[in-house]
Amino acid sequence: MGYADLLASLPLVLAAASSVAVMLIIAFYRNHGLAALATLAGLAVSFASIVVAAPYAPRNVTGLLVIDGYALFFIGLIFAGTFAAAMLAHGYLEKTLRGEREEFYLLLLLAATGAAVLAASAHFASFFLGLETLSVSLYALISYPKGSERAVEAGVKYLVLAAVSSAFLLFGMALVYARMGTMQFSGIASMALGTYMGDPVFLGALALIAAGVGFKLAVAPFHMWTPDVYEGAPPPVAAFVATVSKGAMFALFLRYFARVDIHQSRSLVLAVAVISIGSMFIGNLLALLQNNVKRVLAYSSIAHLGYLLVAFLAAGALRVTASEYYLVSYFITMLGAFGVVTVLAGKEAGEMEDIRDYRGLFASHPVIAVVFSAMLFSLAGIPLTAGFIGKFYVIAAGAGSALWTLLIALAINSAIGLFYYVRIIVSMYSNVEAGYPGEEAAHTGSGEHAVFGAGQMGGAPPVIAIPIGGGLALAGLTLGLVWFGVYPPTLLSIIQKTISSLM
Amino acid sequence: MTPLPAGHPPLHSAVAQLYSAAVYGVPVAHGLMLAWVLFIVGLIGVLVRRNLIFILMSVEIMLNAAGLAFIIAGSRWGQPDGQVMFIFILAMAAAEVSVGLALVLLFNRRFRTLDTDAANRMKG
Repeated sequence: MGYADLLASLPLVLAAASSVAVMLIIAFYRNHGLAALATLAGLAVSFASIVVAAPYAPRNVTGLLVIDGYALFFIGLIFAGTFAAAMLAHGYLEKTLRGEREEFYLLLLLAATGAAVLAASAHFASFFLGLETLSVSLYALISYPKGSERAVEAGVKYLVLAAVSSAFLLFGMALVYARMGTMQFSGIASMALGTYMGDPVFLGALALIAAGVGFKLAVAPFHMWTPDVYEGAPPPVAAFVATVSKGAMFALFLRYFARVDIHQSRSLVLAVAVISIGSMFIGNLLALLQNNVKRVLAYSSIAHLGYLLVAFLAAGALRVTASEYYLVSYFITMLGAFGVVTVLAGKEAGEMEDIRDYRGLFASHPVIAVVFSAMLFSLAGIPLTAGFIGKFYVIAAGAGSALWTLLIALAINSAIGLFYYVRIIVSMYSNVEAGYPGEEAAHTGSGEHAVFGAGQMGGAPPVIAIPIGGGLALAGLTLGLVWFGVYPPTLLSIIQKTISSLM
Repeated sequence: MTPLPAGHPPLHSAVAQLYSAAVYGVPVAHGLMLAWVLFIVGLIGVLVRRNLIFILMSVEIMLNAAGLAFIIAGSRWGQPDGQVMFIFILAMAAAEVSVGLALVLLFNRRFRTLDTDAANRMKG
């Protein structure tokens, strides 16, 4: 492993080193603010080091990792998403958690490192190690508020299901290896193109791997855990699971199939199409029945992965462009939507989960209400938001490959989705019963700094102090949402550069 | 089959089979079949057991089945990769169980039981 290899993998090395640094900082001087700052600095430095690594791409680092533009793009996305999650987490932990809060950041950094390795892996071994670093950190992150029954329940559910799905994945890998004699993705892809496409043992092994991947992506038959885990986990962790963990796995999934033309195998196309349509309908129809905002977002995230699989099934270069654009907009939107839940949760208002808690939010926190509306509009795919452009590219990619059934399902589901997003928005802008105690306090400003002990009488949301870190993260995410929604060329030019190495 | 050393008495056919197994190793198909059986035993354990400790043990069986399959695959191709993967799996299973047992302790403290049916605070 030479000097160039080290420089090419610098983002991964720095992310791993910063988790060690944060661990040492916690060991010597326990301070919540310091741990958070060190984490943010580590993530920022790792993100910046992508610029150093970029000239060396594309490059195979030791046969386990491949650092190309595509991998660097997703590594950047993962670090940026983790950065936002860490900023949101600081205020949340400060408000809600007694006891030790610092290890949260250590786990978050480790999970981000695992996700980054996953996005850059070129071999079953690195795939497996990245996945497990991510998963094992997530078990602890999900049940981090250990006093909460729901968090422990969510952690146990995630632990058992993730462990079983890893076992499926590993067994599938072992069968592929027994059949083909290589664990390198490039070798497997070139062999799969030939005689193995109709081989029953290979397809069986592929199905086992699909169960493991599908669990992480939370697509239709493997989605059962999603709402419970998102509800029980602290909201910044739910945002992390919904974005970084899924994004890393999807990056790998797309790379795995980038060189294989899946349209050669009708059964494979059919399977992915069924999973896609199933995810859309299950996600959107079950979201209609929910009154808990976190559960609505969980089902919405299941539906969004269904949309993303439409782009996956398309052919040609637009497939990767559409997937990457959609994932960026999905990251921004999901982090923003869970971010709103995060900044509002706390001792003043409880967990702010029920849709009824959001009644009259516009009166008490106009800025937050507008941000949340923007995020929900983006999830619904309304113009001027990043979600719209993302969906536009997905539909364009699908139409280019004449996937009409999938596109019709997508259109129907966008309409269903609009209903429950608008339901939350309407409740935010609806009038609260006249004469509720917090009314005067509501007019004292944007709500950014106001702290009043307004009670929850009359169903009115109490005035909540918005933490600085969370507020900044939301501001940044909203900026990105509007920017990528109004002026796509910025992001498109980056995406164009990154996919050249993949084709 | 390698020729017997000079002066060696002729072998009974069952003994001959054992001899060839010792020289050539276990056939890949048999090894993979054993791995499949272990995997399914573990899966059934996860599905029918209600006690968290037993569920974790069943998951371990599934992981070890995958490890066994890797070793068999590695020996088929004469590569060390399968055994390397097995060591990774061992390390990962240890990490997973250490976090898992911590969660089991928390679960027991919160719910006063190890029965997973108690974990029904959230309904999907």
